[in-house]
Amino acid sequence: MPARNAKQWDKIPGKIASGEYVDSRIYSDRNIFEEEITKIFKKVWTPVCHESELSEPYSFRTMTVAREPVMVVRGADNQIRAFLNVCPHRGNMIENRPSGSFEQGSPSGAPKHMTCMFHAWQFDMKGNCVHISRGSEGYQDRLACSDVGLRRLRCEVKYGGFVWVTLNDAIDQTVEEWAGGAFDCMEKSLNAEPLEVFHYHKAIIPCNYKLWHDTNSEFYHDYLHYHNRITGFNDSYFARKNIGFDNGHVNVGSFEVQYDQYEGFESREELSFPHLPNNHWEMIDFFPGVNFNLRGSALRCDIMTPLGPDKVMIEFRGLGLKSDTPEERLIRQRHHNSIWGPFGRNLHEDLLAVSTQQATMNEWADKRRILHGRHEVDADGDPTIHDEEGMRHFYDAWGRWMDRWPGDPELSFEEGQKREAA
Amino acid sequence: MSESMNKQVAISNVIYKASLFLDEHRWDDWLNLCHEDFYYAIKAFSPEINYDMIYMDGNREDMRTITDMLPKHNSDNSPLARHTVVYTVEMDESQDTATAVSSFAVYKTELDGINSHALAGESNIFLVGKYRDKFGFDNGEPFFMERIVQLDTRRLDKGSHFPI
Ligand code: FES
Ligand SMILES: [Fe+2]
Repeated sequence: MPARNAKQWDKIPGKIASGEYVDSRIYSDRNIFEEEITKIFKKVWTPVCHESELSEPYSFRTMTVAREPVMVVRGADNQIRAFLNVCPHRGNMIENRPSGSFEQGSPSGAPKHMTCMFHAWQFDMKGNCVHISRGSEGYQDRLACSDVGLRRLRCEVKYGGFVWVTLNDAIDQTVEEWAGGAFDCMEKSLNAEPLEVFHYHKAIIPCNYKLWHDTNSEFYHDYLHYHNRITGFNDSYFARKNIGFDNGHVNVGSFEVQYDQYEGFESREELSFPHLPNNHWEMIDFFPGVNFNLRGSALRCDIMTPLGPDKVMIEFRGLGLKSDTPEERLIRQRHHNSIWGPFGRNLHEDLLAVSTQQATMNEWADKRRILHGRHEVDADGDPTIHDEEGMRHFYDAWGRWMDRWPGDPELSFEEGQKREAA
Repeated sequence: MSESMNKQVAISNVIYKASLFLDEHRWDDWLNLCHEDFYYAIKAFSPEINYDMIYMDGNREDMRTITDMLPKHNSDNSPLARHTVVYTVEMDESQDTATAVSSFAVYKTELDGINSHALAGESNIFLVGKYRDKFGFDNGEPFFMERIVQLDTRRLDKGSHFPI
């Protein structure tokens, strides 16, 4: 049939079922966004940085989680702890730098302490308040150091040294339980020896965080990339499987990349990760907004911080082994950069596509159906690489957390399920 | 003018010429200003991870491969314009090689990156940093031996397929 009129355009196309598309308002509606922050991002575990970014006692990193300012600190005992980066006195942000060390005192405070510059309250690396300026003069016996302290956050160092934090004290799962087996495919490689971050850059993109996660989860868009058009589309590529795990996480399994088909690329066989077969590739799309990508010699990790319904910050990291020689490190950097660097071949194309995708779904745009109804299975009936099971799996988890039906967010999840069954 | 002064002026000129060629996507003309053993790198220091990073690097042949592939990629085709100012040119004692430091800002004028109806024509700063260049001479004419693009910018919303 030719181009559609308004009524035809509004109809569900073909025999696509209601669990095979989402309503574009989930990418643009401000209320839905606020609800995601409260119901999902404030509730789950998320990696915030890598332990190599705090290599010495007293070093720290700052960031935000679900808009709350967070600080991660390595104590004198080498233990990594996380706190809200908020002073219990008058709510100032305690540390403003992205990273650094408390070893030297700040202008308002003593060495080896965190000092709030405003009125110089001081805290130790465990978050205890150890000094209130003119405390007894001002508070007499009404408030002492022991009555205040930093708000500690649950924190684990897990899966190759990533620092995981949650704002949710009541969470009943460890990071491992929350991962639900999604890391099985690369855990051995990540934990074989200490890792180190060699690449960091950030992008703030005018798109909803889920559009970036979708793009990481669906490989059908490899048509976007010259690199993949040249190297990717062979039998082993199409044999890759999509595997869903509890809590909305997804794996896309290994295949051999034909790097030598792509001009300007030496094969990555020369250097790999421990326990990773040469030229293999493992990827985890971790709910709700993290991606781990282990390919050849480099590990990439994207952490998304949603900033608004149509705005997301993505932090891109590249990691190698701490024990790398300078030559090995350079190889890993080059491999990482060639595809995933800010001047690399693929990353810019992915960011371009999600920006133009969001451009049709702004806050005031009419709602539309965004399809993820591809089923492409192998002889065992397992979804393969161009099957859109990854997105369906994510939106199933998303719908349950939000109690909204992704295909029509005005329905509760249960109402949506009933409609789908009918 | 002394030979050394002549060479210094010629170096400034070739830096400006390179900026124009890069602005105009005249990749071959740019690479023809570079020696066979030319090395190019985009670097940045990240305070977040406390690490001197390389964002891209290669020799002249690598750069040619990259620029030859540009038409095959999907790109944000918004033009980039460099505002370059040569700060210092220093000749070595033998007068055979030289180094130069320039400051640059790259402006991006939107074309097709997001929503062209609303945004095409809008200019924004895309990158700032320094060029750290090394030169040799052929019959008194300078050519690039090395260009290190040292970026201050580390938020790269949509990067670029183009050398900077
Ligand atoms: S707000 Fe921190 S010491 Fe006053
Ligand atoms: Fe992609």
